[in-house]
Amino acid sequence: MTETTSNENGEILIRTCGLCKTYRDGAVTALSDVNLTIYRGEYVAIMGRSGSGKSTLLNLLGALDQPTSGEVFFEGQSLSRMPDLDRFRAEKLGFVFQSFHLLPTLTALENVQIPMFESRLPRARRVAKARELLAAVGMSERETHLPSRLSVGERQRVAIARALANDPVVLLADEPTGNLDSRTGSAVLDLFDRLHRERGMTLVVITHGQDVAERAQRIIRIKDGRLVDAGVYDSQVLQKS
Amino acid sequence: MRFSTLIWHNLLRRRLRSALTSVGVGVAIMAVAALLAISRGFEESMAGAYESRGIDLVVVRAGVAERLTSSLDQRLADRLRKLPFVEDVVLELRDQASLGDSALVGTPLLGWEVNSQLYESLTFTSGRPLKKSDRHAVLLGEALAERLGKQVGDTVELLLQEFRVVGIFTSRNRFENLTAVVQLQELQELMDRPGQVTSFQLKVRDSAHKSLDVEAVRAAIESLTDRQGRKLGLLAQPTRRFVTSTLQIRIAHAMAWVTSAIALVIGAIGILNTMIMSVLERTREIGVLRAIGWRKSRVVRMILSESLALSVAGAVVGVVSAATLVKVLSSTHRAGAFLTQEIPAAVVGRAMLMSIVLGLVGGLYPALRAAALRPTEALRHD
Ligand SMILES: Nc1ncnc2c1ncn2[C@@H]1O[C@H](COP(=O)(O)OP(=O)(O)OP(=O)(O)O)[C@@H](O)[C@H]1O
Ligand SMILES: [Mg+2]
Repeated sequence: MTETTSNENGEILIRTCGLCKTYRDGAVTALSDVNLTIYRGEYVAIMGRSGSGKSTLLNLLGALDQPTSGEVFFEGQSLSRMPDLDRFRAEKLGFVFQSFHLLPTLTALENVQIPMFESRLPRARRVAKARELLAAVGMSERETHLPSRLSVGERQRVAIARALANDPVVLLADEPTGNLDSRTGSAVLDLFDRLHRERGMTLVVITHGQDVAERAQRIIRIKDGRLVDAGVYDSQVLQKS
Repeated sequence: MRFSTLIWHNLLRRRLRSALTSVGVGVAIMAVAALLAISRGFEESMAGAYESRGIDLVVVRAGVAERLTSSLDQRLADRLRKLPFVEDVVLELRDQASLGDSALVGTPLLGWEVNSQLYESLTFTSGRPLKKSDRHAVLLGEALAERLGKQVGDTVELLLQEFRVVGIFTSRNRFENLTAVVQLQELQELMDRPGQVTSFQLKVRDSAHKSLDVEAVRAAIESLTDRQGRKLGLLAQPTRRFVTSTLQIRIAHAMAWVTSAIALVIGAIGILNTMIMSVLERTREIGVLRAIGWRKSRVVRMILSESLALSVAGAVVGVVSAATLVKVLSSTHRAGAFLTQEIPAAVVGRAMLMSIVLGLVGGLYPALRAAALRPTEALRHD
């Protein structure tokens, strides 16, 4: 199923339609009837109390999980009809997690190459690209370091480089600064700003704090699995980029 | 970074566990390789002895389980000699007896004609072959002589009769290094089996189409009848087939295979156990890999590669230790008479192949389990 992919606000990247998710055969309703539109190049923050369903929503947007009912459209394509979701994730999405999830036995440079195994890049290109990405997140000096020898902020920057490995269309981040102190957290957020500004990257970032919210163009608020505020689409900010 | 680097790093995370798993596989493969080499060595040495004597066909009584000691009428030799293409017929009687003062029960005894073709696979380390004029003379295989502590000129007691040792030999057939050879007629008398032999061994004349001739002789022998037109019930087999179908060789092979199978199952369980643990420990990590776009197939490939690496490393350890084991065993007095000194290339190949099967079998279930992990569940796992 495809549908129109733009309106007066710009090109629609992601749209959800009556999204519901229940767990344990319906005993827990994590999301109900979420209708949401995210435009290409937008920087969106998702906020809400713990247990409100933010991660659930992000997982559905990222095709990591299937909705109980409703649909997610990505570039006009229904995810439920997509034949190869792994490939979709590999090519279009970059994930950043709260606790980084780097492979402990691999160096920074090697960690960044992990997602590239699924693309057909030759090894030399893979290494070169990983170097570029580490440079882009300011981690060139730390290429040969194992995650255990990096500070938490540095780890998150490596994880962001990894998320960018396959040139994704959108970066999905679940509390990326949740484990960082405010100084390293804001360094990570500066990086997001740059990606947004310089690469036109679409960012969807879950956050508890005000830090992200201040930088994002739009704040989506969730309460008990329902969308309570889809925010105002600010084309002004968008034009700035 | 290569994919293989990742595999390597993953295995090094738990060095001891990986090493122990490989050693487990190694022990299994060692058992397999050593046993296969030994049973093959038996076969080779037996077949080698027949071949060095130029024997093409072995004729025994059909339908007898223990072919090495069944009996046939020695007068049949003349009928066999008259068959077309047959160049020579060699007679042999086999039996067993306890050799006088030795503690051994059931030393194999071979009854050979003087000047028999059978001598051609023997090398005399001292003394000489049997002569027509010898009475109560015996030849001892080297290992037997050593065991009995006998030399040329000593006597041994065979069924209460004194026999003089006139020669000590080594044979191409390692089994024969533990045997004693006496004249055919003397053995027949000694064993009360007058006119009997265990087998006829035939040489077929050399020609461009020898294998066809051998087959023709074989068919002719199996269809021989007595005066009443009844089948004589002879079984004629090309040497190689005869050797592989003798009870001793079949038992050796069967034991090698059964033991191998058990060892392999244990090896596979070892790998299975290690890989299941390993997948379980890495649940979250596998979830991350899936989230960042790895397909199930790549996760499967990663786990299978790891289990293959463990099993192939084990196989290398196993083959090397089997080679050492066989070498050490073959240099000891007792076993040396029987054993090959080396692991044949074919056995090494087979061991390697087995290790690959082992790795795939042991890794398959963990790999599928890893691939079946749902990314969201795996990410929540701790
Ligand atoms: N796999 C699951 N099985 C059962 N219930 C679940 C599962 N995942 C989430 N839930 C429930 O769904 C609801 C929403 O969870 P979700 O993780 O989306 O919240 P969240 O907004 O991300 O919370 P937090 O800020 O604490 O991360 C919660 O009540 C949670 O207990
Ligand atoms: Mg969450």
